[in-house]
Order: sequence, then C-alpha cells, then structure tokens
Amino acid sequence: MAVHSISVKELVSRVRLVFPGAPENYILNLINDALVEIGTYKVKVVHGMITTVADKMYYSLSDVSEDSAGNKLEVNQVLRVYLMDNEGDYIQIPRLIDKNLLLGDITSEDNLNAPD
Amino acid sequence: MASNIKYPENQAMYFIEGDTLALITRVDSSGNGRTSSRKQWKAISEAVTRGLLLHYYAEPNSVTSITSNLDIDNALELAVVDYVKKCLYMDRAGSSPDAGVMQVSMNMASKHERNFKEAIQRYGVRKKDKTGGSRVVKVPNLV
Repeated sequence: MAVHSISVKELVSRVRLVFPGAPENYILNLINDALVEIGTYKVKVVHGMITTVADKMYYSLSDVSEDSAGNKLEVNQVLRVYLMDNEGDYIQIPRLIDKNLLLGDITSEDNLNAPD
Repeated sequence: MASNIKYPENQAMYFIEGDTLALITRVDSSGNGRTSSRKQWKAISEAVTRGLLLHYYAEPNSVTSITSNLDIDNALELAVVDYVKKCLYMDRAGSSPDAGVMQVSMNMASKHERNFKEAIQRYGVRKKDKTGGSRVVKVPNLV
C-alpha cells in the first residue's frame, strides 16, 4: 500500500495557492527552519558509530561532528551508548551521573574549549 | 577490529558534558585493570575503529532543492505547511500598509502557529509513536 507524503514541490504548490509570489528560496529556508524546530522534539532516531582514539576522553557531539564514515552526526539527545568488546560485539555501557572524576585526563584532547 | 575490553558494561562508562561525550574505562590497552585505585578511571587506552555505537535523537535532514523530500514522518508534514504559512502571513502583516490586511494576516498567522504547535508540541510524539505490544522488563545480568 502506497504511503501518501508531501514532497517539497507539493508543499511549495500548497503555499503558493495563498502566496503566489513567494520566492522559492525563501520557502525552502522556512521549511528548513520548521525542520530545525521539529527536530527539537523526538522525531528521528539515528544509530551512529564513532572510532575511539587512544587516550582521548572527550568526543565532540557538536553540529559539525562526524561519525566514523564521515557523515554528520547531528545529535540532539543521546539515548544509549554501546562499546565494542573483545569479541566485536557492542555492549551497552552505563552513564556516569556523578561527573566529579578525580582524574582529568587531557592527553590527546582536541575537544576542550580553551579560553580565547 | 575488536577492542581489548572484555566487559564494557562494568569496565567503561560515559557521560555527556555540554557538546561532548566523555568515555572512560578502567582497563589499559591490553584489557587489564589499572593498578592505581585512585587513577583507575581514565580515557580509553586504545583506538577502536567504529568502537562506539550511539543511539540518539537527531535533527531531520535539511532540504536543499525543490526536488528534495522531507526527512520526517508523513504525519508531521502538514505541520511544515503550517509553519511556512505562519511565517508568510506574519511577513504580509508586517509589510502591508492596509490595517485590515494586517489584522487578517495576523489572525491567520496565529491560526497556523496554533496548528503547528498542536501538531508538534502537543501531539507530535504521540502521532508517530510506533510502540505497541505487551511489555516486559529485561533485567541485565551484571555478573
């Protein structure tokens, strides 16, 4: 059974019924604004993989950070984290609530914000 | 390539700090426990290709041209129409010298804003919720 969905072209047509002179680029920008707003709610679940680096503690989750294949991660909220074990299986690891670690390991770090 | 960590569930942890995910383990690069109890938890000691798997909520892909498709569930697509119309009505209200047109445009902008908020904020998650079936709790074996 076919699923009905609206393409961007159809969306622009619907908008232009009321606003015939609206520029296409402007409508595309507004659509992207809407998608950013919708993205703040829990609408898309993604499974991404990151390559770990020896002695590196902090891994960036910023808008420009990438997964191991070079694709943008675009993380809004992390649900679960798995780490590969010695047999190549991914095992879920717990999240540390109390972040007051005795040791601050800054070796090989490139994701720390230094004052500028 | 597999790691040397035999039991990640009790030899590794993560936490989120701002825009970063911190990964700490209590084993060295050979998979043996660190000897110092004070400095037990440190950054992972080995490079593991695709070693971390994250499940996360992500942003939908942006559209780049008129031939693109929306990267959201089709139940939420009408909300995008409402959002675009809301903005265009607000633009019209702000640029029209006619008080009547301005008033009507503001009313229409409010209506579309209400529609958008109802679709996304109030019902968005429920509308596309695909969870069903009987429930079970799986208690992890921590031995």
